[in-house]
Amino acid sequence: MALIDSTQQLLEAAARGSWQRQTALTNNIANADTPGYAPQEVSFESALQSAVNGGASPTEVQFQTETKPVEAGPNGTGISVDQESAKLAENGLDYQALTQVMGARNDIMRSAMGAPGA
Amino acid sequence: MGLFEAIGIAGSGLTAERVRMDVTAENLANANTTKAANGQPYQRQEVELAQAGSSDFGGALTSAIRQSGSTPAPGGVQVTGIVSDATPDQQVYDPGSPEANAQGYVKMPNISTVTEMTDLISESQSYQSDVTAMQTAKSMFTATLGLLK
Repeated sequence: MALIDSTQQLLEAAARGSWQRQTALTNNIANADTPGYAPQEVSFESALQSAVNGGASPTEVQFQTETKPVEAGPNGTGISVDQESAKLAENGLDYQALTQVMGARNDIMRSAMGAPGA
Repeated sequence: MGLFEAIGIAGSGLTAERVRMDVTAENLANANTTKAANGQPYQRQEVELAQAGSSDFGGALTSAIRQSGSTPAPGGVQVTGIVSDATPDQQVYDPGSPEANAQGYVKMPNISTVTEMTDLISESQSYQSDVTAMQTAKSMFTATLGLLK
């Protein structure tokens, strides 16, 4: 087994996608009152899934930030700050779950190596 | 994609909402100002916002590589200007006022206190959302740093 196995690579790719989504969601909230602004989204799960199914390496997958055309509300934008905030909270928890799994795997590796502090 | 990009974007939102709150406060403060700098009643000011392109090298490169019409790299929001609201002045009947015209009407600013107050609420809520987004980015960053422990 390689030191950096495919699970670790997948976790890293998912964390990268989650971070990109965080940036897009923050941008949506910052532009909540910008007329004509269309919300952005990052569907990294499906992109990652199809890449893995197609046999590509997770480290090489590039995620796209896409514009999601929606009907403009009364304030002239298609942004619902409540929905974006909810997605933001969800994405933050997802990211924490990813980093905790990564941390647990690091701990296992450390104890196997007999590193001090493990 | 910079690590601190999300914090910068949330910061641009904070700046924009602050400017909007400043302008709303200015409108409220001048709701009864019949003589502005030009001698005319004060005119309601409005903030114009626009989506900002990414300012760092990576974002600029990403936007340049992508074909036109595709999604620009997230870069936050920017204030493009503060403009006057062209709505006509209100005419208030107050014949006792020294500024009343021959018919007894005084020209008052085109400001509705109710509109300004609701704007203020929406601005402060947007500000709060930007703060939350920044805090989430910060806790995500802290979780990443925690991996090194």
